[in-house]
Formats: sequence, structure tokens, C-alpha cells
Amino acid sequence: MSRRDFLFRSGGGLGGIALASLLQQDGLLASPPAGEGGLHHPPKAKRVVQLFMAGAASHIDLFDFKPELIKRHGQPSDFGEHVEAFQDGLGPWLRPVWDFAPYGETGKMLSEVVSPLGSVVDEIAFIHNVQGKSGVHSQATLLQSTGFDRPGFPSMGSWIVYGLGSINDNLPAYMVLPDHRGLASNGMKNWGSAFLPTQHQGTVLYPQRDPPIADLFPGQHGDFLSTESRSAAVPLVNRLNRLHREGRAGDDRLDARIKSYELAARMQLSAPEAVDVSQEPAHILRLYGLDDIPSSFPDEINTPEETAYFSKRCLVARRLLERGVRFVQIWSGNDNGFPRRNWDSHEDVRRDHGPLAQAMARGVSALIQDLKQRGLLEDTIILWTTEFGRMPSSQGGKGRDHNPYVFSNWLCGGGIKPGTTYGPSDQWGYKPLDRAHPTQVYDVHATVLHLLGIDHQRLTVRDNGIDRRLTDVHGHVIDDILA
Amino acid sequence: MTFAAIAPVLVGVLATANTVLGDEALFREGVAPVLRRHCLDCHNDESSKGGLSLQSAERAFAGGESGEVIFPGDTDSSYLLDLIAPEDGSAEMPKGKEPLSEQERRTLRDWIEEGAEWPAELRLEPEAWWSFRPLELPVLPPLPDDRAAWCRTPIDRFIARGQMEHGLAPAKEADRRTLIRRLYFDLIGLPPSPEAIERFVNDPRRDAYDELVDELLASPHYGERWARHWLDVVHYGETHGYDKDKPRPNAWPYRDYVIRSFNEDKPYAQFVEEQIAGDVLYPESSDGIEALGFLAAGPWDFIGHAEVPETKIDGKIARHLDRDDMVQNVAGTFLSLTVGCAQCHDHKFDPITQQDYYGMQAVFAALDRADRAYFDDPAIERQHRLLVARRQSLSAEIGAIESLVEERGGEALADLEQQLQAVQEGPSRSPEYGYHSQIASSADNEKWVQVDLGGETAIDRVEYFPCHDDFNEIGAGFGFPVRYKIELADDAGFSENVRLLVDRTQEDFANPGITPQVASAAAQAAQFVRITATKLAPRQGDYIFALAELQVFDSHGNNVAAGQPVAALDSIEQPVRWRKSNLVDGLYPDAHHNRREQELQEQRDALLERAVGHETLARREVVRRELDDVMAAIESLPNARHVYAGTIHFGSGTFQGTGATGGKPRMISILHRGDVQRPGDAVSPGAVASLGVASRFDLSADATEGDARAALAGWLTHRENPLTWRSIVNRIWQYHFGRGLVDTPGDFGRMGELPSHPELLDWLAATFRDAGGSFKDIHRLIVTSAVYRQSSARADSAFATQGQVADDPTTNDSGNRLLWRMNRRQLEAEAVRDAILAVSGKLDPAMGGPSFQDFVIEKPEHSPHYRYSLHDPEDRRSHRRSIYRFVVRSQTQPFMTAMDCADPSMMVHKRNQTINPLQSLAMLNNGLTLVMSQHFADRVREQSSDLDEQIRFAFLAATGRRPTVEEANELRAHRAAHGLPSLCRVILNLNEFVFVD
Repeated sequence: MSRRDFLFRSGGGLGGIALASLLQQDGLLASPPAGEGGLHHPPKAKRVVQLFMAGAASHIDLFDFKPELIKRHGQPSDFGEHVEAFQDGLGPWLRPVWDFAPYGETGKMLSEVVSPLGSVVDEIAFIHNVQGKSGVHSQATLLQSTGFDRPGFPSMGSWIVYGLGSINDNLPAYMVLPDHRGLASNGMKNWGSAFLPTQHQGTVLYPQRDPPIADLFPGQHGDFLSTESRSAAVPLVNRLNRLHREGRAGDDRLDARIKSYELAARMQLSAPEAVDVSQEPAHILRLYGLDDIPSSFPDEINTPEETAYFSKRCLVARRLLERGVRFVQIWSGNDNGFPRRNWDSHEDVRRDHGPLAQAMARGVSALIQDLKQRGLLEDTIILWTTEFGRMPSSQGGKGRDHNPYVFSNWLCGGGIKPGTTYGPSDQWGYKPLDRAHPTQVYDVHATVLHLLGIDHQRLTVRDNGIDRRLTDVHGHVIDDILA
Repeated sequence: MTFAAIAPVLVGVLATANTVLGDEALFREGVAPVLRRHCLDCHNDESSKGGLSLQSAERAFAGGESGEVIFPGDTDSSYLLDLIAPEDGSAEMPKGKEPLSEQERRTLRDWIEEGAEWPAELRLEPEAWWSFRPLELPVLPPLPDDRAAWCRTPIDRFIARGQMEHGLAPAKEADRRTLIRRLYFDLIGLPPSPEAIERFVNDPRRDAYDELVDELLASPHYGERWARHWLDVVHYGETHGYDKDKPRPNAWPYRDYVIRSFNEDKPYAQFVEEQIAGDVLYPESSDGIEALGFLAAGPWDFIGHAEVPETKIDGKIARHLDRDDMVQNVAGTFLSLTVGCAQCHDHKFDPITQQDYYGMQAVFAALDRADRAYFDDPAIERQHRLLVARRQSLSAEIGAIESLVEERGGEALADLEQQLQAVQEGPSRSPEYGYHSQIASSADNEKWVQVDLGGETAIDRVEYFPCHDDFNEIGAGFGFPVRYKIELADDAGFSENVRLLVDRTQEDFANPGITPQVASAAAQAAQFVRITATKLAPRQGDYIFALAELQVFDSHGNNVAAGQPVAALDSIEQPVRWRKSNLVDGLYPDAHHNRREQELQEQRDALLERAVGHETLARREVVRRELDDVMAAIESLPNARHVYAGTIHFGSGTFQGTGATGGKPRMISILHRGDVQRPGDAVSPGAVASLGVASRFDLSADATEGDARAALAGWLTHRENPLTWRSIVNRIWQYHFGRGLVDTPGDFGRMGELPSHPELLDWLAATFRDAGGSFKDIHRLIVTSAVYRQSSARADSAFATQGQVADDPTTNDSGNRLLWRMNRRQLEAEAVRDAILAVSGKLDPAMGGPSFQDFVIEKPEHSPHYRYSLHDPEDRRSHRRSIYRFVVRSQTQPFMTAMDCADPSMMVHKRNQTINPLQSLAMLNNGLTLVMSQHFADRVREQSSDLDEQIRFAFLAATGRRPTVEEANELRAHRAAHGLPSLCRVILNLNEFVFVD
């Protein structure tokens, strides 16, 4: 194994070594990266939060206002062309389930169900003409999370921490806060590192569980260990490892493993502290809606319960970002099972989207405000996404079918032009208004990489004879949403 | 250090000598190599892209579609030079590839300027990439005596040659203690026991090593170790992956087949053939069926198949991806070729065309992934085969009749079908379908549902309404029981005074569609009305009871059941469609719709009668009935076993497969840019044309899809196929040395690495092929070689002590490409886990059978949650070797994932071995390590009551050696302070435990 190869696989501890510093060591960067962590040009941001609504959130009931649907509500839908629905989604036009109103100085129309986002709407750049490739959840989710519609490719966060490395020594560079009730389509593949080294995969964190990270501490099976024997173990392991290393000089892996035990011990101290929100002041808990959590919840889906869990993830995310975690992925919604605790509202948009959307809006609005007041928003990108949108027609009742033909994403924070609406959808929210020029996931990915100082065409890894990149062979930076 | 840096660069030398070469020599030695290397792949007589071929002077000077490209003596007019001139780092030609070097461009320019001399008789052949060249047995390289003396096998001669050429000397032979640990992990994946180590170290016999090798190759654990390598490559998993990630309970027979094949040392050609076409080529054997698990090993989009028909775009995409996975698995596994690029365009770097790629898709065009039945008893297997053949021909006949119907029925029929579909799928059906029982595996389960009228009521009549659900194309009457009864009672338990109102339990009752059913009750009084299905309705290989609505009318004509509480034996409760309360919500499939549907059906039947005549329709009925009989006969064969395999699928509803057409392959077309909506020319089964083995299969008109697979198998295992043999010996080498002779084991194409020892690779490949393809022969050859038996330490030079001059290898070849020492190996996830179990004395050596599950499944009915944290590591069933672990795709096992086990969602030709803190946490704190630390301690205590002896034994069991005094002191101190289990945990975390010298 060459030194380069070794560093690629084993260097840099929790986040892995940054490609940037590898290139610099090898003299392969034309000039040293400007500022902190840029790979190809000076970055505008250095952290990312990816918010993923599992099950497909309805753009037309949340962010993309379609008065035409109110006018035509209940009339037979007519798309003017053959439409392939995933299920039986070509019922009558269905008006937005909630009323819309203007918010902020920009007067952006938002659904009342996401009204908490009104106070930060002037920070946000909406993209209303995002186009998917498939109405099948699994493929569409993978496309958003990895840029490919089949398994086997690194997630967006993995590429970013592979390219930029970690900005802390105590926590993983890429952390994932899944829905506490289960994983979305494809499970861990949505934060997997695939052919990139394992340390670039997302590390799962459940704030409510003990321990919050798997195997952080010995569990019930470690009762035979006293606190003293636990703390004596790692130093002894490494004293013996150093003896073993003598006579095996020049094998960097042996040193790396010694170092990794030291880092593990540091993480044991840092991780519990990072998820402990009990030290947060009352006004912050209030901001996130975490000040008055009921002791029990009804069986039906409800807003207080959704808020208690989702907002907690947002608050923990802020604490992770503060501590130098580079990429945080937050999930809302589990697998697409029943009863619905996900955005796949085939049956009843109001019932299921309602509590999920209110909790999402509350938590995300608080996160944006909180980051801003700490000066972190200016170099943190927040990306809101989902696998596809939902149809402007009903499924005969109160639900909507899949719409991969158009949906919305939004971004805010480092380098994003605040208060922007870009790329309109058509009058129904059925397809992009300009069908020849939709926004694709590749463009969103390219834009995020661009803001991080990465040229998406140049961050490549050769896997099995092909130079792979996050954006496959596509992608254009969306200049219109850049500050 | 890569091989490319060592290889001489010829082009540069020639190009600077342009001026001194004669005109013809300039062409032969300067121009021709450039054309061969960069142009001829596309511009040859056969596939002259843009109309241009550069194979002969005649064609070259004639030019292409854009006219002449070479004007002798006139560089300004010669378009060729413009095409290859780079701008901003890329040039028009070679298309999509790196531009020619400046030297190469100057050579072409000089040649044109000098008059473009090209001897008329000189025809150029495209330069074959190293791996595409014919495979021949190289001669052994000559060596000086001292180097020759080091060699133990022919392999060593090639290695010694490479070392000598670079001034390197080999390392000393490792000691026996090191060798036995190396051999054990390498050949069987387990640590040697302390007894085995001491026996071998003290064995006075000279051939003790060879004996040990034979012993380990004969061990059944050998197959377990090497099958795991194979399963990495073929991306074997036991769930589908994608959405829902359902389990595949019958995947494991393929895993056992692979283990058995390695243990039996099955000839490689047969091993390959079985996995592509075992059912055709080895029809009497279970191996021939189980091997087809290969084709189905990878992920599969359940939703894209089971919920989206092939007629929809998403359905087409899912099936395209499915075949793509099969094709990539074949080409990647057996050929070490990446062919995926060719689904959108001809491969940019390797001679693989879209035609080649879709030709391979066409081989598998009849297949899907499904459980396939087979029988251990050859007599029954034969019977099974005959029945399946009959099923196939009957299905084909029905298929033919259906096409005739479609053709004769024309637009009128299509129109009627469309109207019918519109009615059947119409949105006016309420989404609240009704009550739906849990799913049963057989029809003769009783299920009941009942309504509580709230008090004793005189009942005039009971009306009940069947459901409509298009699931599995059932439609009207969905879930309506085949036999049932209706009873009245005064208590919810129906414990006494039960009155029978309707009894249809004695014979099968024809499905009523959605016609409402009425039963008069003649003013009997009761509080509870219960419907019990005594024979359930078929759904999709399973059985249910569903009902849309139950209405109970009193003498005033009021429906007293409306909105009343409903109870049932069980219910799937999947709102909004299915829930108990839907039974009394007043919603049921409406009769107007039903009438319309019936009318349309009658019109269609009349049309069919006119179109194809009564006789054909009658024949269709006969064939259908016989087909039903054949299917029933297949079902009733005793002791069927199942393997999840690539197979013809006899499905219904959305996921039909090709069974209904008798396994007729789907039409495969070249897809423009891989887009299923832009099909081009149809393609017949074939393989990669540029490998020099006939790749168009020339199948006869009546050939079956099995014949196409057999042809592909024959093509893969053809003696002259240069990739098959090179690919596999490189893999074997890689698993012994940690790195292949070609370091990109999955890509032998132009983007892959060059071989470090090309002649050695060819020698191994040709030897393996010509001696019958025995894995064990090659293992023996490799592990008995001097190169394998070297020390892994850097300082242990075998020659330095003899006063020979050797370059410092740490600067000359720090990556050890030339194998001047053995590579130290980091153990893989499975070896780490198995070693933990083994040293703790808990490893259960039982072989084969269904996989153990080290997780608890929650919510199996929709998207199973695989909860590893709920598994009890003390569960003895999970103490088997890691190859028997149930491999989930979407939620991989955390401990194994931290240790870099193969990701079953992608082909893993080489493990990505990392070192990181999450691994350390897993090794320290995972339930397995903690539990096994205590068992390890128990085992140590059983060995001896002497404390020092206990420490010695524990250290020996884990590392293969006794501790030094210093180490023993450290261990003793920890034991005294923290106890033996804590000490055992420390030992399992040592570097020495997870590295092999």
C-alpha cells in the first residue's frame, strides 16, 4: 500500500483526512486552498445541513402556491397529455389543503401549515422546478441522497467530508439524525460511503437513546467492567500495541490503530455532551418548541409529538455544527408504512402532512434563527429536500399520488441569495413551466459543492475503472440562487 | 509506485527520431502505433465511425462522411490534424478520451508533411489491450544460480526475475509460528489453536509445512473461507434492498452451493457454467439449480416490479436496472470488465459496444428473480422438469392465442379493453375499500368478522357487499370467501344459542363479483351478526377474507349496523383502504359501475367470438384448464426445495414475468442514451465481440432462452477467452497476498491498473486453464512458494546476510509491488468475528442451512426493521461462522460494517480496509466482544488455575505466541486490578489480534 493509499483509507481519524490536504502534500493543488477547506476555489460555506422529508412532501401544499387549483378544485383533472400515475392519482383537481398567505418582506406565499418558516422566509431561496427521474420511492430517494438511482454510490455527505475532511477532532465529520420510528427507503444506503472509505459514511445518532451512538460505551453486557477497568483498558491496549510495533517499523496502519483508540476515547467524552440539550437556556428551548413537552401523546399522529422529536433533532444538529461537525443529515418520516408517520400521503394529506409539516417548520425555523444569532448561518448551508412531489390531482379522496415530474427544494445560508424564488413550475405544479430547462438534483448538488469550494466535475474517485463523481456526468451550478 | 512508471515509454523515443527515419519506417514505427492505439477501435473497416476507416491506405485516403481527412504534403488542409488538436485540454478526437500527446501529434504532422507514405499492402490491426490478447503459456525466465536457488516453485522464478531487475532481494523465510497463523487465516479464515501451533512448531519433519497445507485445504472450513470472497464479488445478499427491503428466505442454498463447490474443488469452467445455465447444462443436479442464485444475488427493486407493471415507464426502468445488474454481475465477476457505461454509449475506454452490452441483456431477457423449486430426488426432479416444460408449451400456446386475439381484435378490442380498464381503475370508487383479514398461507383457515348492533334487535335482513381491488388483477369480488356462513348471537363470543342464518360451507361458492348479497332473517332477534369464512379467497399465492360492507336492516328498513363497533379474528388495518370500521361506513363498490363493467365484458366477449371464432376461444379454455392442472401437479410434487434464483417467473398481477408466454424473452433494443423511452434496433443474444471468441450466438429459430444462457456460459469458459482465466487467477492471488497482480481485480480494461508481473499472471492463468481449473492446485502452488513464505518484516532480507548488494526496497519499491517481503494483512470483518468466537471457545462449527439472524425484525408486514441492538449476543444460534450470517442490504450489521465487511449493494472486488475510531469503539464495546471476553476468560480458567499460565494461554490463543516478560507483567497487573474478563477484552483489542504477519 502506498502512503497516499494508506492516508486515503486510514488517515485523519473521525472524518478521514481531507483530500485537500492530501493533494497539497502531493503538490497536486495548483495553489493552496484559499481560506478554510476549499478544494478548488475559495468557499462560501463550510458546513451543511440536509433536511430530508421521507415519503415525498407535497410542494403544492407547502411552498409552491397554485391559485389555479383553488379555482378548479373538484373539477376533473386534465393535464392535456397522457400522464402516468404511480397509483390511481388522476382524480379531480385538489386545491392546496391549507390556505396560503404572504410572508416576510419578499411576500413569499407560504402555506399556513409551515407558517413558522414565515419569520425566516427572507433568508431562503426556493427552487420550484426540480425534476426527478422516477416515481419509485427507493430510486428517487437514492437519487437525492447519492446522485444515482441505484445502490452502490457514496452519499452527498460522504463526498463532502471526503473532499474537505473534518473540522474537529472529537466527533465524526458526518452525522445523521434519523427519524426515531424507522429508516426511509434504502435505509443506511442514504448515508453510506459505498466505495469511499468507511469513515466517510454518516454516523447515526439517536438523541433519545442511551448511548446515542452505537457501541459508544459498553452496554448491559459490559456489567463486569468497572469504571476503572474501562478507563485502564485503552492505555494498556496501546502500551502493548506500541511494543508490538517495534520490529514492525514502517507500517503506518499500526500507528493509525493506536491513534484511533485515542480518538475513540475522546469521542466518548464529546458525544454525550453534544447531545445533552439540558444545558440549553429556556429561551432557546422555547424557540424550538421544546419548553413544554407533554409526558404522553395520543396514538394518532399529532403536532406536539412530532415537534418534540423533530425539533430535538434540529437543536442537536445546531450543537453538532457548533462543535465542528461538517455535514448533518436530519430525517423527517420513516419507511412508507402504516399508520403513516411519513410524507407519503396517498390517503389524507391534511391528516399526515399536517403534524409533520408543522413540526418541521417549527424546528427548521428555530434552527435557522439560532444559527443566525450565533453567526453560523453565514457559512452553513441548509438544504431542504424530499424524493419527489405530489400530484395536483387527488386519488379520489383526500390524498395525492407521487409526482416525480416536478417538486420543490430550498436552500439558505452560506452563499445563498436570500429571499429568492427560482425556476417556476407550471400552473398546476405538475411539471416545470419551462420543460426544456428543469432543475435536476445534479444542479442542486453541484451548487452545494460549489459553495463549499469544490468544483463538482473535479471531485472524482476512480472506482472499478470509472472516475465517479457525485453529479455523474451532469450538473450545473445554479448561479441565480447564489448571493 | 505504479507499474506504468517503471515501464519504458517508447513513443517519446521514436518521435524524437522522426527526422532520421525513412518515410516508410516513419509510418511503420511512428504513425502506425499511434493509429493502432488511439484511432482503430472506432475507425476500422467493420465499424467505420463517421464513415472513416484507418486500417488501410486506400480507406484512409478516401476519407469519411466529411470528406478527405489526409492531404499528403499539405498539413493545413489535412482535417485529421484539426480533429486531434486539443483546445482547453480536450480534442474532437479521439472522441471522449484524452488527447494525443504532443509527440504523437507531431509524428502525424511530420508524416503528412513528408508526403504521408503508407505502403499499399500494409494493413493495420487495432492494438489489443494486454488483457484482450490471446492467452499463452510463457516460458519460465532464466535466472542466475543464487536467485534460482531461492525458488521453490515456478511462480518464484517470475518473482525473482522482477526483484533482480530492480535490484531487490527477497526477505527471509518467516518462522513456523508466523507461517501457521498466516496459513490458517489465509486458507480457512480461523486462528490456529495453541495446540496446533505447538505441534507444528515442534514438528521435526521437513515436509511438515506441506502436510499442513494439505490438511487445511481438505478442511471444510476452507470452503467457508473462500466462498465468502466469492460472495463479495457477486454482491450476494439476503434481502432485496431498495424500498421495503424484504427478506429472501431462500437465498442461502446458493451460499451453500458456493461453499460446497470450493470444498469439492469443482473445476472452474463447471463452476462458471452452473451459475449461468446450470439448469440447462447440468439438469439432473441440485447444484445446477442452486447455482442460478448467482443471477439473482444482487439487489432487486421490489416496488418497481411488484407494484409497477412493465407497461409503465417506471416499470420499464426497474426491469432495465434488473437486467443491468445481471449483466454487470456476469461481466464484472467472470471477465473483470466494467460494461455498465455501454448502456448509454459505446464504452469510452474499452472495446465494448452498446451492441455487446444489450446482447448480454438479451441473454437474460426472459428472466426475473424469484424462488425456484427443485428436488433432491432425481426422479421427482425429472418429473418436475417435464411438467415445467409442459407448462412452458401451454403458456406459449396461450400466448400465441392471445396475440391472435389482439391482432384480430384490432382497435375495437383495444378500445373496449381501455374502457374496461378505465371503469376498473376509475377514481369514483371510494378509497375506503372495506375489511381485510390478515393474510393466510392456506385457504382452509377460518376467519370471522362481526358487528355489534348495540342491543337486541329484530332483524329483517342482512345485506353484504363484496370488495373491488385491482391487486393481482382480481378486481370485483376481491377477498370474497369461497365458503362461508352467517350467524346470529346475543354475546360477542358466540358462545351459546348461536343461530345459523346462511350456510355456504359445504361446497365452493362461485365468486359473485360485486353483486350485493342478501339474506333474509325473518325478524329473528340478536345483538351480534358474524360472517365466518371457512374457505378463504385466493389473492397472490396466499389467502384472505375481505368484505366491503355489512348492512343489517330492522323491520323499519333502518340499517342498524351503520357505524356500530366491528370486531374480527384479525385484520390488516391499513387505513384508509382497509380497516374494520370500513365494514359499516356505508361505502362499497357501486352497482352502476358494476353494470357498466359487465356490459363492456359482454361486448368484448362478443367481439372476440367474431374475431377469432368459437373454436379458438374454446381451445383457449381447454389450454387454460390443462395449464391449471399442470400448475396444480407442480405444486403437489413432494419435498420441494427452493432457491432464490434468476428464473422464468410465473407471476400474476403486476409482477407477471414471462411465464405466461412460456418464457419468451422480452424484446431487447439498444436504448438511446440508456433511455427506456428511446429504443433503437432490436438485439439478439450475444457477448463482447472484441475478445476473439465468436460472440454472436447464432441460435436457431426455435432456441429457448436457456439455450442463450448456455451459449453465454460456453463463451465465457471458452479456452480462447482471454479474460476468464486471467481474471480468476488474479483474484486467487489477491486473496493470498492482499493485492492482485492486477490491482484492479474488477477492471482489466484501459482504466484499470497494469499487471505487476504480466508473464506470471499469464503463466498462472494458462496453467490453471490447461490443468482443469483446480483452485486447490493453484492455492498449493502459491502457498508453497518461497515468495509466500517470506517474512513480512522489512529488515529481514534473505540476501543481505549473504553479503549481496541489494537496493533499499523501502525507497525503491515501498509499496512492495515486487513482493520482496510478505504483506502484513489486516483481518477482514468475518475473520475478526470468527476469531473472537474461536478463541472464546464458542464457535459453533455447524455448516450450511438457513442463515442465523443477529437482529430482531420489527414490523415485518411493511418495511421490516432489522434491529441489531435488540439481539442477544449470548444467543447460541448466532455463534456460527460469519458466512452464515443473514445479510441485510438496507440496514447492514453495525459491527461488521465498522470492520469494512462487503457492502452487499455493490460488487466488491477488493475490500476497502480502513482504520478509524468507530472500529475501536465497536471492538471495545460491542455486545459480542463483551460477552465473548467473559467466555474467553472462562475458557482460560479451565486450562489452568495457575495465573501466569492463564495469561500465557490467553495471549497464545489470540496472537499465536507467548507474551514477553514485559508484556506478561503488564497483563498480570491488569488482571490483578480488573479481573480476567477485562484482561481478555484488552487482548481482543490488540493490534496483533487483528493483523497477520
